[in-house]
Amino acid sequence: MSLVNYATREITCKIVYYGPGRSGKTTNLHYIYGQVPDERKGKMVSLATQTDRTLFFDFLPLDLGTISGFTTKFQLYTVPGQVYYQTTRKLVLQGADGVVFVADSQARQLDENIESFQDLHANLAEQGIDARAVPLVIQYNKQDLPRDLVLTPAELNDALNFRGVPEFGADALHGPGVFETLRSISELVLKRLSTPVR
Amino acid sequence: MSITTVETWVEPPLRKFVEEARTVLALLLHPSGQVVAQFGFVRAVDVMSACALAAAIHASAGELGKQLEGKAFRGLHHPGRERQLYLAEAATQRGNFIFLTVFDQESSLGLVRLYFDEFCKNLAAAAPAEARRAEPVIEESFEGELNRNLAALFGRG
Amino acid sequence: MSSPFATALAALTRQRGVRASLVVDENDGIVVDSNLQIGQDGDRVAALAASLYRKARLSARAARLGTATFMQLEAERGRICAAGHNDLVLVVVADPAANIGMIRVEMIKAAGALP
Repeated sequence: MSLVNYATREITCKIVYYGPGRSGKTTNLHYIYGQVPDERKGKMVSLATQTDRTLFFDFLPLDLGTISGFTTKFQLYTVPGQVYYQTTRKLVLQGADGVVFVADSQARQLDENIESFQDLHANLAEQGIDARAVPLVIQYNKQDLPRDLVLTPAELNDALNFRGVPEFGADALHGPGVFETLRSISELVLKRLSTPVR
Repeated sequence: MSITTVETWVEPPLRKFVEEARTVLALLLHPSGQVVAQFGFVRAVDVMSACALAAAIHASAGELGKQLEGKAFRGLHHPGRERQLYLAEAATQRGNFIFLTVFDQESSLGLVRLYFDEFCKNLAAAAPAEARRAEPVIEESFEGELNRNLAALFGRG
Repeated sequence: MSSPFATALAALTRQRGVRASLVVDENDGIVVDSNLQIGQDGDRVAALAASLYRKARLSARAARLGTATFMQLEAERGRICAAGHNDLVLVVVADPAANIGMIRVEMIKAAGALP
């Protein structure tokens, strides 16, 4: 659950970018980091291997400004996508207020997307979290690649988006879709703070 | 001394620790990396980074401990050239928290460990049984404000 | 396995009125070895005494008094004595009735033999 500090009127939310290896999770954070002015962001922390593959996580703290009188901060994390970093993914996913699933739109990566999506649900379930209750947005990245290499968002929806969550085509390297994805997950996460818990 | 806390019950034990152990920085956080209280940091975004890394160190040391010893390690000490870091877990009825503190020559590992044990007892005694009830904190029509903030953040304002 | 300090610590604790003797790392305030009577909290004494000794040593240097050799703190119900060598401090907790002159001699001798 998002952390609310009533005394200092601050909200802090944890958003995790999840997905298979090389789908563009870190690229999303790099793009956001490059767009946001210095005074509204912290240092981007990357615990990566020598070949720049995410080893533990990437982390980017953002100050979203004031919403309903609360200073709102987001902590953006990525998980390592490679199958063998399962333990690390579970640790990073702990306490997530929202998840962005970054899928690789290349047709040959479809199985990896499905496997990673199932892995996400299994890890949430293991932490006792009902995956349907977690705000989720899907991003179909690399839509800028040649048409014959990638699946369309509609085709990817059929394979992944059985919950009908918000989905966005994206080119995280150059920016299209990155902002829209972040806006959508922000809305979903903050909406939970505006709805009374029953 | 500037201590900021998310929940007020944390402040007296933390203040006592910092005064007695004479540490430079102190952070109390949830294992998920969310800050609960801090002393000594200037920028909120730096607190968030420190929390993320502390949670990562704690999680990986815990896993390593489980693999090597069958259970998580109790505390972790990193000596630096001028400053040192001590990281350990504090248990309360409100759940477990991660505590990280940085100290220099004004203190020592022995003093930090000594006062950390006291801090744990004080924190456990101060922890209220029930978490504050979740209640709506932002207006239902927050989207306009969010969109304006995000647009400004991305230079689209 | 007994530590290289065990004999010296045992000899100090055998002195009349000595409740505890410890070898402590001055920088860390952590017990290297100790010989304690029941009821003494070695970790607590070590952390605080090492911190006190370090500050006393620095005070002596700041006052241009040279190297500190011995520190004694008198309290209502006893004394804490400390003598350092390199990074180690020998700490003794004693009753008010203890023969402090003898303890001082033994401590300085033992501290000189610390590595």
